[in-house]
Formats: sequence, C-alpha cells, structure tokens
Amino acid sequence: MAGPWDTAPPPPSEPSAPPPGTPPAKAGPAPATQALACPSCGGTIELKAAGYTVTVVCQYCGSVLDVANPDVRIIKEYHEAAAQLTIPLGTRGEIRGIEWEAIGYLQKSEDGFTWEEYLLFNPYHGYRWLITDGRGWSFGTMLTRLPQSGRFGTELAVDGQSYRHFVDGRAHVDYVLGEFYWRVRAGDTVRTADYVRPGWMLSWEGSGAEDSWTVSELLKPGDVKRSFGAGLSGGQMAGTPMPHQPSPYTGILRPAMLFAGIAVAALFILTMLFGGSSRLFSERVTIEPDRTGRSITLGPIQLDRSWQAVTIEAQAPALDNAWVDLDYSLVDRKTQQSYDAYGLAERYSGYDSDGSWSEGSRTAATKMAMLPAGTYDLLVDAEAHNWTGAMREVEVQIAVERGATFWSNLVFALILILLPVGLIFWRHFRFETARLGESDRGATSEDILASLGGR
Amino acid sequence: MGWRAFLYGLWCLGIVGAYLAAAVVGYSPFADGGRSAFRVVSYGPTHK
Repeated sequence: MAGPWDTAPPPPSEPSAPPPGTPPAKAGPAPATQALACPSCGGTIELKAAGYTVTVVCQYCGSVLDVANPDVRIIKEYHEAAAQLTIPLGTRGEIRGIEWEAIGYLQKSEDGFTWEEYLLFNPYHGYRWLITDGRGWSFGTMLTRLPQSGRFGTELAVDGQSYRHFVDGRAHVDYVLGEFYWRVRAGDTVRTADYVRPGWMLSWEGSGAEDSWTVSELLKPGDVKRSFGAGLSGGQMAGTPMPHQPSPYTGILRPAMLFAGIAVAALFILTMLFGGSSRLFSERVTIEPDRTGRSITLGPIQLDRSWQAVTIEAQAPALDNAWVDLDYSLVDRKTQQSYDAYGLAERYSGYDSDGSWSEGSRTAATKMAMLPAGTYDLLVDAEAHNWTGAMREVEVQIAVERGATFWSNLVFALILILLPVGLIFWRHFRFETARLGESDRGATSEDILASLGGR
Repeated sequence: MGWRAFLYGLWCLGIVGAYLAAAVVGYSPFADGGRSAFRVVSYGPTHK
C-alpha cells in the first residue's frame, strides 16, 4: 500500500528528533525535503525537515498529522482555513549570517496575552525560534544543558551570564501550523518561567513529559524586516517595554554619570583653589540709630589684578533688635567709575509662648563681581534703626577683602551639569518601572538600580 | 560611547571651563554689586 510519502522515509536508525538546536552531523546527509498528501483534505504538504519532524499541521485544513511513522496518521482533524501569517511558512531569511526557513508556527497565550513563535530550520544548524509579541522579535536557541544557579536566589546563569527571574506562568497553545520536532497541537498547556538580562531572555517550558530551556536574543527592529519581510504590529502591550528590552538610556547614563562625577569633582577643586579672600582694608565706624544716615569714605583700596571680586563684610557685634542699612559705592579714583552694592545687618530676639527666639545676623557680607584694577575709595551711607531695642549707637566693623567665594556660581554649575543626568535617569527610571511592572516582583528600587549595572 | 554621551561630555567640559573663567576674573551673575538701586527690603523679624 502506498503511503503518503513521495519519497522513502528516513531509515529507522536515524534519530527522529535530535536535540533541538543541535546541528545535524555535517558528515551525514542533510534532511531531505519531502512532500506528502494530507489524509484529511488531500492537500500537498512539503516537509522541510523530513526525518526530524514528528508532527505537521496541514496548511490547508489545519489537521494535525503524525509523520514520525511511514503511514501518516491524523492526530486531530480540522477543516479550517489556515491563518494568514506575518511570515508565511516556507519563507527563508538570514539571521546572524545563516539562512533559516520558517517551517512551523505557534500562537500561544496566557491570561489573554498572546504571542507568536516561528520554528526556523536549517539542515546544517538545526532549529531556532523567532518569537514576537508585536513589540519586537527575539531569536531563540534551545539549550542542550541546564542553566546553573546564579549569584542570587532568583538568578540563573548560562555561559557566565546571569539572568534575573522575571515571571512565572502557564502558556496555552492556541494555534499551530507547519511541522514540528515534537508532538504539539492546539490546546496544549505548559508551565513557563522567564529570566531576563538586558537584550536576552532565558525561558523555561515544562510539561509532565519534559522540560526545555531556550535562550533568546532580542533582535534589532529592522533585522526581521530585512530578512523575512516581517514588521511589528505593536501588539497588546504596545508602549510597554518588553521584559528583556534594554533601557535605551543605559548606554548614555553610565558615561554621563562618569562625566558628571568628574565635572563635579573639578568644580569643588576649582572652588577651593579660587575661592576665599584676602583682607585689604578694615575700619570701625559708629552709627547712631534712628538718626539721619551717615556718609563715610574709607580707603584707599588698591586692587591689583586685572579683574577681581571684592567682598565687603560688615560686622556689628552688639547689634540687638535693630538693623543697619549700608549702601556701598566703590569709586575708582582715576575714572570716577562707581560700583554700587548694599548690605544689611539685622538681629532680632525675644520671648514668646514657645520660649526665646532670635533671627537675623549681625554680619552682612556683600560680594561684588569683576571689578577692574585700580585705586578705590569706599563710600558708605549707613543708617541704623531700633526695632524694639534701645541702642544709642551701633559699632560696625567694615572690612574690604579681595576675592569672594560665589557659592551661587557653584550651585548654578552643579545644576547645569546634573540636570541632564537627572532627566536621563528619570526617563530610565520610568522605562524600568514600566518594564519591571510586568514582572512577578514588580518594580523595586533594587532592580532599577541593578539595571544600571547591566543586570 | 555614543555621540549623545560625547556631547554631554563636551557640555560638562564647557561648564567647568566657564566656571574656571568666572573664578579667575571673579565673575558671578548672582553678585550683590549693582543691586542697591533695585532693592526691595523689609525690616523686622519674619519668623512669626
């Protein structure tokens, strides 16, 4: 009796299902392409990996056929039109320099979330997976060894790379098409667990019969478009990062943090080197409160550098419940150019229901920027006023110093340096929060910080 | 290192350079000098 095979089946001694992903021995013959007739609808089915394929789903009627034996048997009969696939079975494309042919298609789901898996085959390199949930494509290779325990309880390691546990679940096979090296049909259910590191996912699928581990690499968005002509739909989770999607901000954040650290250190070193001041002149003046202001001329003050800052410090050590207004004018004797500034010393204290209180400062430091070299007089218009105090005179020590530490400059520079890093970190934080929000643990600060280290 | 990180490095270098230049000539956009004509001052304690 003639079977559905057009050519002879592989000899029984050949393995019907080699370890997935393991290249067939190059010394032996490559699996032949064979054609068979679907016992259900009569359609011609081309078998791409004859000798390895165990089941094939008819692309015309959807019936599941057992092709491990010479007499093709119907495992489950359907009469449904095949779904339109993003990558039609039989399409060939090159990934990582190797040409693969799409021979099988699975649609799986979990709690309403669906994704697609294409089984790829190359006679010399075995099987691979092309997986998508609409947001990106991953290229999966089934492991032929077990992962090792990682450094932490929730981590596993493969080839020295650690994968953090992401999510456990139960996947349901919704739709099957094409040929497979194991028996699969719609309705099958497997337990799953995903472990991730940036750009990579380690997936476990377990059923009562067997466990399998797959490492998949997230491909660049254009890779599958170029090789298989398949784009991305966005999927149900459009806008949410994939579990193994690397943060697009990590690449800039690490060098940016290094640059920011160096720049901040440089700013503090420059502040220490160029900050501070040296006293040029000091004089004590006496002011009578609540009287007409007093004008005093102090000097001469010699400024030698081409440009410099000047600090005028007024100290009124006995000031109590009073204030002193000080209008300064530094006048260049040669050009009569005047540089004006203002100082206020005020000190208040008292008692209330909460006890004693005090506020204000008996010292007023006034900083003037970028004064040119020259000989100056300091004109001071001073007024003192009692608030509730009864001071009859206020002694004020006025000192002129060359140089100043402009802390506001430092703060401004720190803001300019740290603001971009802060914005990038914020966007990274939001990305990682959205990504990790889909995990069993949720988004934890520990995981987000660990993501900066590439974990 | 990408071009964006390189640009940020240049940005940091520019900020540090500007800070150094300001420190050398004693410049600050926040200095008190020249403000006396525009001051708005209130006197007395403010903690109550």
